[in-house]
Amino acid sequence: MDIISNLALGFSVALSLQNLALCFVGCLVGTMIGVLPGVGPIATIAMLLPLTFKVDPTGALIMLAGIYYGAQYGGSTTAILINIPGEATSVVTAMDGHEMAKNGEAGKALGIAAIGSFIAGSVATLVIALLGKPLTAMALIFGPAEYFSLMVLGLALAVALARGSVLKAIIMIVLGILLSTIGTDLDTGEERLTLGMTALSDGIDFAVLAMGVFGLAEILKNLENPEARDVVKSGIGKLLPTMDDMKRCFAPIMRGTALGSILGILPGNGAVLAPFASYTIEKKLAKDPSRFGKGAIEGVAGPESANNAGAQTAFIPLLTLGIPPNAVMALMVGAMTIHGIIPGPLVMSKSPDLFWGMVASMWVGNAMLVIINLPMIGLWVKLLKVPYRLMFPAILLFCAIGIYSINNNPADVFLTAFFGLVGYAFYKFGLEPAPMLLGFVLGKLMEQKLRQALTLSRGSMMTFIERPISAVLLLIALAIITVALLPSVRKGREEAFQGD
Amino acid sequence: MAEGTGMSGGRIKSPEDFCGAIFLLLICALALWQASELTFGTLRAVGPGLMPTALAVLLAGLACVLMVSSLKDDGPDVSPPSWRGILFVLGAFVAFGLAVRPLGLAVAGPLAVIIAGFASDETRPGETVLFGLGMTAFCIALFKFALGLPIPLAPWLLGY
Repeated sequence: MDIISNLALGFSVALSLQNLALCFVGCLVGTMIGVLPGVGPIATIAMLLPLTFKVDPTGALIMLAGIYYGAQYGGSTTAILINIPGEATSVVTAMDGHEMAKNGEAGKALGIAAIGSFIAGSVATLVIALLGKPLTAMALIFGPAEYFSLMVLGLALAVALARGSVLKAIIMIVLGILLSTIGTDLDTGEERLTLGMTALSDGIDFAVLAMGVFGLAEILKNLENPEARDVVKSGIGKLLPTMDDMKRCFAPIMRGTALGSILGILPGNGAVLAPFASYTIEKKLAKDPSRFGKGAIEGVAGPESANNAGAQTAFIPLLTLGIPPNAVMALMVGAMTIHGIIPGPLVMSKSPDLFWGMVASMWVGNAMLVIINLPMIGLWVKLLKVPYRLMFPAILLFCAIGIYSINNNPADVFLTAFFGLVGYAFYKFGLEPAPMLLGFVLGKLMEQKLRQALTLSRGSMMTFIERPISAVLLLIALAIITVALLPSVRKGREEAFQGD
Repeated sequence: MAEGTGMSGGRIKSPEDFCGAIFLLLICALALWQASELTFGTLRAVGPGLMPTALAVLLAGLACVLMVSSLKDDGPDVSPPSWRGILFVLGAFVAFGLAVRPLGLAVAGPLAVIIAGFASDETRPGETVLFGLGMTAFCIALFKFALGLPIPLAPWLLGY
């Protein structure tokens, strides 16, 4: 079997002493930074990117993936222990997880989250290994027109899956694409929308934009609304769930894994919806739905598995098609580019050790998370007790060093501060920055593919409809937007994100 | 940015959306002005100006829809911004950027932490200074020595 030899190659790479160490360090520091309230995976990765500069490309990606899982799990830890979800996907975990913590079962909640995530991660690793080949083959027959239409579909999905108003989501995506046009034009070398500033002639660095609108704006937001951080005082309790708990959680974990794996593949950040969907399903299927919201262990197990499976299968569009489906994956593109790898269908054939090593390291990373986190929960609790008056200057310092180190350029630091201000304005005006980042991520590639497609078709826009695959993709995108705008669906969508 | 607060009694039903739309329109105006000198090209050979202009016009249209809806549908007010936070948090960041090249991380680090401290009421001066020095020492050990990043340490003192 092909897949077995591929995975064997992967594990031989991932289990080398150096890569195991990198994976371990990545998971550890990722969790450490991810645990800090208000620091989600995006800010964590942007902050820790420079850690990987000195490592070889394979090691760097393994470490980054470790940082990503660590940050994800750190976010869940924060959600359970202090009810401050670091990002949208841990909102669900906080609902029942924090209630469990209040009942003195914090350890059990963290334990089941780790176990569920591990099972989900293992399945997701297999999914990636299985789908890698066929999707790569598909990617190679895609022309520019198909690529463009696929990205339109991704953005349509992002609109449908975004929280809040459909109009605002579309606005933010268009704004993101507009921002991506800043910088030197690829074909003519002319500078576009740079206001004459040299700092902008290479375009806006994704880490700069993300750190500004997520990292800095988040600090400003938190300072404005002093949080009531109730770190669990009643003790953590037992870490390992009982046999009875495990039996009760088995089906939710499986369902969450399936949901997360499928939604995570969608180009357009489907992974965000997975935990919400899982929670809703578990609540519907439960014999006694009234337990949910009061500390039901299934309400932690299902969504956490969905979250982790989705976080991982989100690698599929990136590694096979070269399309980052969300902001985290866009940072991965940045990291890969720094190491001279262009994400896309060619990675698998040109550097199989890198591709399969990374896939195998995903499983290793998930195993490591269980090993690191269960014994270290006491440390994370201590870290969470650090008052915000000390935490935010520390976060700020890490951000500043991280941003400066990406290009060793002070101008990036100033630009980040500017986007911090812009992000704060978005927050004031109720505009969600996540869709903007996705638009920004896909924008450059979309323009490039659009122009290529038009050149190939000698200026005929019909090429997008005449080519069958492209036409089908565009039709699906149109259908998704139409459905998202239907009043009844809009209501259901709001309910799905409430988790009720 | 706080203009919206006073107008909630008037015809604007959702100050948040109204201000957001104005903000977006300002961005569009800036983009259109910047893109005005770029050539459009033809569909066969798209020029550099086409995408930015098209996107800015599309965005302006969407912002107008948002503005119209803000006159019809009720929405939240815009809470007044915290200028103190903006000044000191972003100020600390800018100060770091200004200081890191000429003065090095050894100075820029504590400087950023101390300036940031002014953003919060709960800051205790002595604690923040000590914390700034401690965090900087940790960062120097991690980023400079363990990872070997080429970030200047204290050029005025050590020469690197």
